[in-house]
Amino acid sequence: MADPIFAVRDLAKSFGGLQAVDGATFEVERGSITALIGPNGAGKTTLFNLVTGFIKPDRGHIEFDGRSVFGRPPHVVARQGMLRTFQITKALAAMTVIDNMMLAAPDQPGERLLGLATRPFTWRRQERAIHARAIDLLERFQLSRLATAYAGTLSGGQRKLLEFARLLMARPRIVLLDEPLAGVNPVLGRQILDHMHELRTKSGITFLFIEHDMEVVMNNADRVVVMAFGRVIATGLPSEVRRDRLVIDAYLGAHGEDVA
Amino acid sequence: MSLYLVSLDSFGHVDFWLGVGIVAGIYSIFTLGLQLNVGFTGIVNLGQAGFMAIGAYAMAILILTYGWSPWLALPAATLVAMLAGALVAIPSVRLRGDYLAIATIAFAEIVQSTAQNALGLTGGNNGLLGFDAWWQTIQVSMLGLLNLIGLGTQDQIPLFLLVWITFLVLMLILLALQHTPWGRVLRAIREDEDAAAALGKNAYAYKIQSLALAAAIGAIAGYLLALNITIIYPGTYSADFTFIGFAILVLGGLGRYAGVALGSILLWFVLEAARFIDLPLPGDKVAAIRLLVVGLVLIFVMVLRPQGLLGRRQEMVLRG
Amino acid sequence: MVRTMNALGTGSRGVLLAAFAVLVFGALVVVKGYEAAAQATANGLVTGTYFALGAVGLALVFGVLRLVNFAHGDFLTFGAYTALLANVFFRLPVVVATAVAVASTALLAGVLELVLWRPMRARKAGGLQLLLTAIGLAFVIRNCIQLVAGTEPRGLRVDVTSAVTFLGGVRMGTTELTVMVVGLAVLVFVAVLLSVSRLGREMRALADNLSLAEVAGVDTGRVIIATWLVAGSLSGLAGVLVAAAVGVLSPQFGFQLLLSLFAATVLGGIGNAYGALAGGLMLGLTQEWSTLFIDPRWKLSVGFVILILTLLARPNGLLGRPALK
Repeated sequence: MADPIFAVRDLAKSFGGLQAVDGATFEVERGSITALIGPNGAGKTTLFNLVTGFIKPDRGHIEFDGRSVFGRPPHVVARQGMLRTFQITKALAAMTVIDNMMLAAPDQPGERLLGLATRPFTWRRQERAIHARAIDLLERFQLSRLATAYAGTLSGGQRKLLEFARLLMARPRIVLLDEPLAGVNPVLGRQILDHMHELRTKSGITFLFIEHDMEVVMNNADRVVVMAFGRVIATGLPSEVRRDRLVIDAYLGAHGEDVA
Repeated sequence: MSLYLVSLDSFGHVDFWLGVGIVAGIYSIFTLGLQLNVGFTGIVNLGQAGFMAIGAYAMAILILTYGWSPWLALPAATLVAMLAGALVAIPSVRLRGDYLAIATIAFAEIVQSTAQNALGLTGGNNGLLGFDAWWQTIQVSMLGLLNLIGLGTQDQIPLFLLVWITFLVLMLILLALQHTPWGRVLRAIREDEDAAAALGKNAYAYKIQSLALAAAIGAIAGYLLALNITIIYPGTYSADFTFIGFAILVLGGLGRYAGVALGSILLWFVLEAARFIDLPLPGDKVAAIRLLVVGLVLIFVMVLRPQGLLGRRQEMVLRG
Repeated sequence: MVRTMNALGTGSRGVLLAAFAVLVFGALVVVKGYEAAAQATANGLVTGTYFALGAVGLALVFGVLRLVNFAHGDFLTFGAYTALLANVFFRLPVVVATAVAVASTALLAGVLELVLWRPMRARKAGGLQLLLTAIGLAFVIRNCIQLVAGTEPRGLRVDVTSAVTFLGGVRMGTTELTVMVVGLAVLVFVAVLLSVSRLGREMRALADNLSLAEVAGVDTGRVIIATWLVAGSLSGLAGVLVAAAVGVLSPQFGFQLLLSLFAATVLGGIGNAYGALAGGLMLGLTQEWSTLFIDPRWKLSVGFVILILTLLARPNGLLGRPALK
């Protein structure tokens, strides 16, 4: 691969007797939209948890932009520019939409007690700038009129958009989306995918997303990584992967239906 | 209830109620720390009395044994308490909620045990006296001033004012902190640590800061308590003190600093007003009734109205 | 070494612990002489027995309900004082009084489950709510006892003077010896019951995974009540044994013991009843052994320090389930 922003080698994790991830190896090209697919129980979400620091891997290598992030805690990984969403949206329900957004802005001296004491005017000025940026981003996602509403009052689809908008506030270099279209109506789903393409083109953000819908994968992904039984069994162009014998077997074995 | 004599002549006794007000104020300050930890950070600090003890003892030891001026000893003792808070927090905050609670109460018990047994340092069960000479002097001046407006006869007024002004100042500081980016991160951590971590926030660091701040607040409550009873001895800083604080906390409502004052005043009003019912019972049994009431308050609030008096139902994110 | 510990099962770890204890005893004999070491060990076993009885109940409740029962220590007080009532007030023999204590504490625990805990769980009460309710309950129980019985020290009508000497110089009161024997016997019985009985297996299933157990057809309501009854019985018995061994009681004693019981449970691995058993014995022994080296008034603090060290170094305890998030 020419320019991998993110690489995983021989990553493994077991829980009790269960080997959830069993030596996964793959790379993600910078500026690409890569899909991570595989039958249920293949270890995709566990992989996300491992690379973003939410679960400690048993062994392996994880490299983000040339630096190892193996065993680093989640907040460190996030600060380095690898942001993620969760299968069940984590919009902070007891906080307003705008608070959710402003929370995500990086490098805020006002978030540190020392910063509050030593730079009382800086952080206030920064708040105004962050607020403006947040409103701007909310407008792009058509959520600005809900800025002062509690995130808990938003619909499921709106919360997904909020989670997406929120992580963009953090200026990510790579975004990991865990089933971004799950439970979302097709119109909204289309919006999310459009945003993804636009952000990739305009801001050079890399996307790695877990997806079950093959049509979506075929039409949107540059590359596909296929997992089964905790291992990566195939990587490549969507058209290549769909014809791969191993992939078809894995899906037939799991679902009993043709993937084509 | 007409079986028991109610001595109404003491009911209007200003001095008595000033005393109650002072105790209620001290507990209010103590519970501000608990509110920060439980209501705004989501961590259960059952060791607050331990921080109170560390502050009070440090202050007294610095003044009595090392001859420090109180104006140095007070901030220094507060720093010592904060350090203790951070040291307790560092290993504890990565534990699950209930384990953290146990760790903090274990710490408080060690503090109380040390206070009882390290005779050379703390005077053991005899306690420490004489650390408040400076306050007595200030009090006399204050009473002199108060005399000019005719209030000089109530000698508890200076301490009453000190306690409640301190409470107001601390509450305003805490409220201001909540409206900063720091406060915003704290709210996020309280609701969902993982979401906050996924956005680059180091939850552990914030929890440590929260505990250290609460320790400082506990220390301040400790100084005022010491000034009130003019002695520092181990029995004061018991787990029961912290539990009463929790009763006040939930009565007023989680997530509202003002609720702490309301809860404290209400609870102490109820506990002290009962003195006027002359029960034919010995002292230890009357004490038992008071603590029984505290226990019932805890149970009833948790069962019937967990958000307390001022808390809001939808902000209720109670976690263990 | 930690890896090896993790790899072994509960039974083998238990054996390892026992071997370790024997080794420590050997070392103490060498350092402090046989008499001192043996006496401390004997005292430690007496204390350890009632620690273990109390801790097992605590662990069972935590395992099945995820509830840190802050009122547990006061169950011991309740047991002790009902025994006191039966023995001193109603002049019933100690054995009968013990039975009364066990039954009444079990009843208390069962009633509380039906009246307080079950309705709260049904209304989806959170962990903090339950924790604070337990604290409030603790206050209510011990202060009701204080209201009725006052704070004056009281004791059971047991033989406090006669003693036996055995194993070359170890001296123990007859009552203490009885306490230890009875306690250890009950502990063995409970351990066996947990492993072989259907109830024991169901309790362990719930402790491992509540929803899975439900799906597997376990009647969780019944198991929960049974857990409370067992925990109540054990604490009632523990309370009587403390009263007999220590001699004098006050209404605060159970709560004062609570932290030591937490220490034992955490040491053994919270939620693991066998661990609590081992933890209780180990804690009792360690506390008494410490008096060979430091002033006895720091004895209790030893327990608290062990608790904190365990939480720091190995939060899962010696035998237990994950404590880190």
